[in-house]
Amino acid sequence: MAHPASPASARAAITPFVAVIPGIELESARLIQLSHITKVFGKVVALDDVSLDIQQGEMLALVGENGAGKSSLMNVLYGLYHPDQGELRIKGERVRLRGPKDAIARGIGMVHQHFMLVPTLTVAENVVLGREPTRRGLLDLARAQREVEATCQRFGFQLDATARISELTVGSQQKVEIVKALHRGAEVLILDEPTAVLTPQEADELFRVARGLAAEGKTVVLISHKLKEVLAFAQRICVMRRGKMVASVASKDTDARRLADLMICGEEGGAGARTLQATVEAPTAAPVEAAATVAAGAEPILRLDGVCAGPKLTGATLEVRPGEIVGIAGVDGNGQRELAEVVTGLRPAERGELRLAGKAGKLDPHEARHRGVSHVPEDRLLHAIVGPMRVDENVSLGRQQQPPFAKGPWIDFTGRRERTEALEEAYDVRPRDPSVPCGRLSGGNQQKVVFARELDAHPRLLVAVQPTRGLDIAAVAAVRRRLVEEKARGTGVLLVSLDLEEVLALSDRIYVMFEGKVVGERPRGADERELGALMLGGAAHG
Amino acid sequence: MAEPDRPRPQAAASASPGFSGAEPTAAEAAEAPRSRLAEAVWASLPSALSVALSLLICLLMIAITKGSLSLAGNAYLEMLRGGLGDLETFGETGAWTQLTRPWGEAATKAAILTFTGLSVAVAYRAGLFNIGAQGQMTVGAITAAVLGAKLSLPFGLHAAVCVLGAAAAGGAYAVLPAVLKLRRGVHEVISTIMLNWIAISLVENWLVVGPLRATTTGNNSISGTDQILPTAVLPRLLSDGSRMHFGFILALLAAVATWVWLFRTRLGFETRAMGQNAEAARAAGIPSARRALQAMVLAGALAGVAGSVLVQGTEMRFPATLGAPYGFDGIAIALIGETHPLGVAASALLFGVLRAGGTRMQLLGVHKSFPELIQGLALLFVAGRLIWQWALTRRRKRAPAPAAAAPPSSAPPAVSTPGAAAAGGGA
Repeated sequence: MAHPASPASARAAITPFVAVIPGIELESARLIQLSHITKVFGKVVALDDVSLDIQQGEMLALVGENGAGKSSLMNVLYGLYHPDQGELRIKGERVRLRGPKDAIARGIGMVHQHFMLVPTLTVAENVVLGREPTRRGLLDLARAQREVEATCQRFGFQLDATARISELTVGSQQKVEIVKALHRGAEVLILDEPTAVLTPQEADELFRVARGLAAEGKTVVLISHKLKEVLAFAQRICVMRRGKMVASVASKDTDARRLADLMICGEEGGAGARTLQATVEAPTAAPVEAAATVAAGAEPILRLDGVCAGPKLTGATLEVRPGEIVGIAGVDGNGQRELAEVVTGLRPAERGELRLAGKAGKLDPHEARHRGVSHVPEDRLLHAIVGPMRVDENVSLGRQQQPPFAKGPWIDFTGRRERTEALEEAYDVRPRDPSVPCGRLSGGNQQKVVFARELDAHPRLLVAVQPTRGLDIAAVAAVRRRLVEEKARGTGVLLVSLDLEEVLALSDRIYVMFEGKVVGERPRGADERELGALMLGGAAHG
Repeated sequence: MAEPDRPRPQAAASASPGFSGAEPTAAEAAEAPRSRLAEAVWASLPSALSVALSLLICLLMIAITKGSLSLAGNAYLEMLRGGLGDLETFGETGAWTQLTRPWGEAATKAAILTFTGLSVAVAYRAGLFNIGAQGQMTVGAITAAVLGAKLSLPFGLHAAVCVLGAAAAGGAYAVLPAVLKLRRGVHEVISTIMLNWIAISLVENWLVVGPLRATTTGNNSISGTDQILPTAVLPRLLSDGSRMHFGFILALLAAVATWVWLFRTRLGFETRAMGQNAEAARAAGIPSARRALQAMVLAGALAGVAGSVLVQGTEMRFPATLGAPYGFDGIAIALIGETHPLGVAASALLFGVLRAGGTRMQLLGVHKSFPELIQGLALLFVAGRLIWQWALTRRRKRAPAPAAAAPPSSAPPAVSTPGAAAAGGGA
């Protein structure tokens, strides 16, 4: 099954699995058949002759790099995309889905990575939204609540139907999404990167729930690139690469290494995979030796003491020294974003003391940059890049008043272009053209432009928020390498990430934030479970 | 992250700094930068087509209402004669006034439209929609009229003082909406519209008919303010038959200066960056509030000068009313000109010509407001094109996204400030 996919080989790969369910006729076991699906967007072939059969009651995982086509394939199944070629059969019947509504009507439910919930409404209101029970033309909330409670009970969810979404944790919000799909009669549940924003404990809970659903005869499709959880959860794993289905394997017959090879090279043990594996693993290895670069008595480049800002940041105490990567772990929305904004001067600190580069005093973005802060923000298009402007204009942003970007009051066009060309070369930005509007670059290349610009300023403190979000494996490896290199140069790095694995892999020290406070500090190599408990507000000591 | 862009580690490792830049891939070569001129032509094409389309539609409308296509064609010819000069009569008689008089009419209108168009364009580039050019122009005009009539200064200096005074007054009047926006979050569209009415009511309904009303001599009843002194008049450029005056030169200079400021200086760069993505500009340490205030003051000053050009160039006093809604026309001129200073000058020139010639269409019984109709239609098509283009670029942006970004969260929506939409067209 190691060979690039033709539909025939993909089907052959499935056969052993089907064979382990004796007595079930092949056709009837196939709940969903996607055959020879091709979907082209402009020049990009998102799905190239992909076939996939999904059995009733199966726990299936779909893995691949970002851009491999996993989400595209599931979007076809959910009616969001119409395939250019190929057909979709549900329960043997050929169907053409005009939209998610059709898909839902046929028992397909999808939980997106970002929840589609109205924060000010209650759980029950959100679940019935769009198909509210009415009495004499008026919304019958009591009935809605009863019905939703019944659904929760049936599938074993511990949810208060009257709670407001805004009061729930991320893990509970995800459960609401699942309940919403089940309430609408979903037989097939597609979970798109469900654990990306969860703590390990919440992820365990999610998989417990998902297994329960499968035991009830529901079919669960998990889209993920975390191989560990895929191997633990799924019975069968389908690997996609560059729009093609390259393999379908029973999870008991494979391991993480072989899956990674399949994802990256389309075959097991390819030379390219080894190269890439090395680059992926490099950042994990490098910090250990680089850890020594932190001078024991070095003056912290950043020190916060009980800093508060707005309702979300209620007490941050931490320090970052030159030559170390300090990770901030926490569940989304616990003040990490506000912390990064305060440090970069975007948000004023209301209370507490903030010392940056040995100086206290009021901080605005200009002053922060002046003291040597560079910022790789979470949302590139919103906070880092002016999309319609050219790449060289974007590179000059932040230092537009200094050489080589300016000569007195004038823009230095030559200097700007030359510096941009040099940076594009050094950071492998494609295409190598300083005059392209930055918004036209791919996400990975935009991130390279941001990194090039921010590191070219030779920062003393680098604040990176979710720096690898939405990037493919090679780009993630490149970004992580940059962070480690920066640290080796003696820069203090403050890394905020919702991905606990990333924080653990890169950080020399880790602070955990919960409800706007720093609730704990752990050294390198801390236990994932312990951090998870801290992130949920438990065992707050240290 | 689209497939072709995916960096391959082997390729990256083998790329030595000196070499790989010299071997562009086929895709890169296909998108090789065009020459600057070609780029400019390409960028102005949609506006040009919009104008052409509206000209065609108006031609058909005249033909339908008058029942004759040839009459409509003749009406257009008359319009051109009225705006660009009557070449045939000039050929027969050799009288230069046949050319210079229409030029003068076109140029005076173009000058005012350039200033109000620049006013709107400058604010737009900073991410602000200045609907208040009419009010700022009114304030500028009355200031120029008062300074021109009451001060006694030598020739040249007097005119300059009046122009600068009008600029200061217009700029000051634009500070109000800017401060309201920056301090209290009042939307500038609302505040500038309301300030228009305040300015017009104060000036036209009170000052001009009250305290500043012209002193009458004998039985003559004069509307408007006192006539300005000859020293304050903007000098005529051509023979006496033409009203072409120095204001036209000022307008062209202003367009070039605004272009230099916006596109050649770092302040202009910061202003544009702010207009297209205020958040990113703030994160880059650009003092957004200060740049917004500066842009708004400059916008007001430009509108103010429009008023002074009207007073010192054509009317020689503040008339009973400003006559035409030049300030509102500025919005159309700015958008048809892609909010690019030179584009604004070009579109102001075009509509100056059409409007000056519109009067001559009356000779054939065609109403003189057709040029305004053309302008309105052109604006409509330009606006329509922005929507169209927006839809196109959105399609293009969204297309690779599903393949490129598996989690839906990682494809944030395209920046959708009004400035960005316009920049998409203007860039």
